[in-house]
Amino acid sequence: MSVFMDLNIISSNDKNRLKSIIETAAHLGYSTVAINYVVEPQQKKQEIPKPQSVSDIFDKFPIVQGKSSPIKVLNRLTIIASDKFTNVLFIYFDLVAVYPKTEKLFHAACMTFDVDIICIAVAEKQPFHFKRAPVNGAIDRGVFFETCYAAAIRDTTMRRYTIANAISLMEVCKGKNIIMSSGAERPLELRGPYDIANLGLVFSLSEGDAKAAVSTNCRAVLLHGETRATASGVVYTMKKPKTPQKQEEESPVSKKAKTELS
Amino acid sequence: MVRFKSRYLLCEVCVPDRSSLQLLEDRSIYNTLRAAVKRAHGDYGSALFNIGVIVKYLNAHTGVVLIRSRKKHYRLIWSALSFITCLENRGQMVQCFLNCLHVGGTIRTCQKFLVKYNRQQLHRMLPDCKTDAEKQEVRKAILSCSLSNVRDEEADEDGSDDDDDDDKET
Repeated sequence: MSVFMDLNIISSNDKNRLKSIIETAAHLGYSTVAINYVVEPQQKKQEIPKPQSVSDIFDKFPIVQGKSSPIKVLNRLTIIASDKFTNVLFIYFDLVAVYPKTEKLFHAACMTFDVDIICIAVAEKQPFHFKRAPVNGAIDRGVFFETCYAAAIRDTTMRRYTIANAISLMEVCKGKNIIMSSGAERPLELRGPYDIANLGLVFSLSEGDAKAAVSTNCRAVLLHGETRATASGVVYTMKKPKTPQKQEEESPVSKKAKTELS
Repeated sequence: MVRFKSRYLLCEVCVPDRSSLQLLEDRSIYNTLRAAVKRAHGDYGSALFNIGVIVKYLNAHTGVVLIRSRKKHYRLIWSALSFITCLENRGQMVQCFLNCLHVGGTIRTCQKFLVKYNRQQLHRMLPDCKTDAEKQEVRKAILSCSLSNVRDEEADEDGSDDDDDDDKET
C-alpha cells in the first residue's frame, strides 16, 4: 500500500467547506492533501497572501482510511504567470506551482524557474504546443507536470479539453513526471485514488505510470519542495522552540553548537 | 476449459448526508451508469454496456453497490464511473459520487473484502461514539464479523452501522 496524495484542493474562505473536503479525502484514502492558493499577479509587486495556518482548520485531523495516522495538510501556491515574475517570499508555502500562459513562459518555467509543479491548462484549448526540448529539460531538473480532473467532472466541454491537453502532454513526455490531482472546490468533486489511476489510462498513460502519478510522483514533488528550503538539498535549518531553561543558561554560542552536534 | 470470466466492481456511493441514500434502487444506478458510459464512450460504450453489465447487489443503508461486467471491458466501464455526479432516484436528483473499493473476479472475493472493510469502518467509528452503550454495540459488531452466514452478518453490521450513524447525527 503506497501513500496517495492529492496536491490540489482550491482554498476558500469557508472553513467548513475545507473541513468537509479534507474529511472526504481522508475517507477516500489520501494520506496527504495540499491546499492551493491561486494568485494572479497583475502588477510587478503584488502581495502574495500568507496562507492560514493548518492547525486553524482542524483541532484533530481525521484518520486516513486504511491507516492509523492522521491526514497531513500542506500549503501550496499557484502563480498564473502572464508576465515575468520575480522569486518572492515563498517560505510560508510547502509547494510552489506555476501556470504558464505563453510558450516563452512555459520554456522559462521548465528551464529556469524555481518551482516544483507546472500546471497544464484544463479549461481551454492549449494555446501553444509542447516542445520536446523544454519538457525534457524539466524532467531532468525534477519539475513535474500536473493535470487536474475536477473540470472534467463538472462539464462535458471541459472534459474534451482536459483529455486533449493531457494526451498531447503524454505524447511529449512519455508518461514521466506526471501528477494528477483534483482541483476540487467541493467535496463531491473528489475521487478515490484507484479511480484516478484508471482515469490515467484514458489519458493514455500506462498502468504503472498512472498509479505512480497518484503516489510515487506526488511524494517526489513533496521532496522537491522540501529541498527548495535547503542548501543544495543537503543542509536545512529548523527553528528550535526556546525552552525557558535554555534562556536562563548563559553559555557562549560556540559551546551551544557543540552540544547540539554530539 | 472455457469459462466465462467476469469482473465485479465493488463501489460505495458517497453522499454528503446519509438520509438521502435510503430509497436507492438498483435500477437507478443501472440507468445512471448507462447514461454515463454513453456520454463518455459513445456507441461503442453503450454496446459493451448492454452485453455484460448488471448491478448484482445494492445496500441502501451503507451505499455499497456490486456491479458485474465482462473481464475484457471492465476498465472502460470503470473509467465512466468516475464521471457520475448525481443519481436519479424516484424523480429526485441526489448529488453523489461513486468510489470504487475493490475489483474482484468472483462474488465471494468481493464478499470477503466487504466484511474486512465493514470491520474497518466500525473501528473508525469507535472513537466517535459518545456513550458506553454505543461502544459496546460497536465492539460486539466487530467481534461478530465473519464470512459464514455472510448475508445475516452483513444485515447485523449494517443495522449497527445505521444505529451508530443515527446516534452520531442526533
